[in-house]
Amino acid sequence: MNNIIDVENLTFSYNPEEHSAVVLDGIDLQIEKNSFVAILGHNGSGKSTLAKHFNGILLPTGGKVYACGFDTCDNDKLLEIRRNMGMVFQNPDNQIIASVVDEDVAFALENLGVEHNEMVKRVDEALEIVGMTEYKHHAPHRLSGGQKQRVAIAGIIAMKPSCLILDEPTAMLDPQGRKEIMSTIKRLKTEQGVTIVLITHYMDEAVQADRVVVMDDGKILLDGTPEYVFQNVGLLHSVALDVPQAAELMYKLREYDIKVPISVLHEAECVDVLSKLLEGKIDNHH
Amino acid sequence: MIKDITLGQFFPGDSVIHKMDPRMKIILTVVFVAIIFVVKNFLGFAVAAIFLASAVLISKIPVRTVLKGIKPLLFIIIFTAFFNVFYGTGVKVFPDISWLSWLTYGGLERAVFMVIRIVLLIIGTSLMTYTTSPVMLSDAIERLLSPLKHLKVPVHELSMMMTIAMRFIPTLIDETEKITNAQKARGADFETGNIIRRAKALIPILIPLIVSAFRRAEELADAMECRCYNGGDGRTRYKIYNFSLRDYIASIIMLAVLAIVIVINIFF
Repeated sequence: MNNIIDVENLTFSYNPEEHSAVVLDGIDLQIEKNSFVAILGHNGSGKSTLAKHFNGILLPTGGKVYACGFDTCDNDKLLEIRRNMGMVFQNPDNQIIASVVDEDVAFALENLGVEHNEMVKRVDEALEIVGMTEYKHHAPHRLSGGQKQRVAIAGIIAMKPSCLILDEPTAMLDPQGRKEIMSTIKRLKTEQGVTIVLITHYMDEAVQADRVVVMDDGKILLDGTPEYVFQNVGLLHSVALDVPQAAELMYKLREYDIKVPISVLHEAECVDVLSKLLEGKIDNHH
Repeated sequence: MIKDITLGQFFPGDSVIHKMDPRMKIILTVVFVAIIFVVKNFLGFAVAAIFLASAVLISKIPVRTVLKGIKPLLFIIIFTAFFNVFYGTGVKVFPDISWLSWLTYGGLERAVFMVIRIVLLIIGTSLMTYTTSPVMLSDAIERLLSPLKHLKVPVHELSMMMTIAMRFIPTLIDETEKITNAQKARGADFETGNIIRRAKALIPILIPLIVSAFRRAEELADAMECRCYNGGDGRTRYKIYNFSLRDYIASIIMLAVLAIVIVINIFF
């Protein structure tokens, strides 16, 4: 089994009896092990609702969700699913339970009944991975937003999950905090082999993923590599999403019939293309 | 600032008393309260007071802070003293003045006795909260009450509630400040007017605060479920408390004080 998450024709609405609005409408999605997938969408597109299906916080109204091969509707496997599918939310303040950092990181382990020596070891490891060891005995409310969010991530990775789902983890952070979180996430993927599902509305974060899934109105609109997805500038604009600035610039240039490659996402690439373009122009004048 | 309020008046330190096992501190505080109620005469109080004074000195909590703890309860102390004066019997203090005829030496003695008792109780119990962090206190209470689980008392749930409440107090204080500033920026006036006006002015602070607290509760519940929270069954503990030598020595001293007080009660 190569897919850690397998969503089959998922529909969801909060009150199916009362025919309330359908939040998710026929989603099919497979996420491979050890991949880094970004799910993009504007507010109300259903991206957070979808994420909550990955570990059984919400259960499908129709269709099936398999996480690590287990049906999320299977109550006996729920703890196993949640241990494997770690989830980090937007507001770090509302996920930290204890008044001391290390005790909070231990919370999940206490719930899972991990034996004491093992627990102490795992708490230290988790804090080490997110680089918060020196704050072990601090009170969470004295930390910065980025530090709090890293504590929240440590609390999840202490469970040794095989997949980490992050629901807009940087939305409430300053640029410094966002950088800290993104580098932590990437390190988790490369060093610990954790599958990453990042729900975001920041384009520069989505660009760093291996695969981007764009959602709109409860459906999947686009799905593919960042290079492929961000070529569809017009389509993304039509659902109120931006594209990375480099892609936007290329798109504008192409509107003026200037032949630039279509899949430029990063600043460095963009500079490269522009300098080549300018050199070409200078050559033409000679 | 509201932020400066210390919950449970904990004073961090590294004295022997700070380092004691919180469970032992609670038990010994209960024993101390019992001693205070066992005492029948002033000599007994003298022993208890000497013991308490040395404990305060060992804890390195400033004596002024300890005495300040009495202040909020001053009214109750005076009230108790006042009524105990009436219950006295014996020789009248002013036999010649008719409107002071109720004042007896027995009554005065009784009043002083009650005042000493209350003061010792306050200092004794606040010494525990001064030297133990609220987190450790709630943890210790859970562990001490855990036998009650067999009587279907939801000990774990109560302690989880206390832990979360303490964790969210600073967060909610921050939020109150933010909302207050936001309302001030919109022209709200919290400083003028009579008490009813001022109470009404608090409504625009309380409602957003309560709404947000509910939203937080919902998110926290999700986050707890994501971390496999499943109630108290089968949980292990990260923090392990062990009684050490200092805890045993402290309890021996406390028992000695109890014995001395009982002896004094019998022979004096």
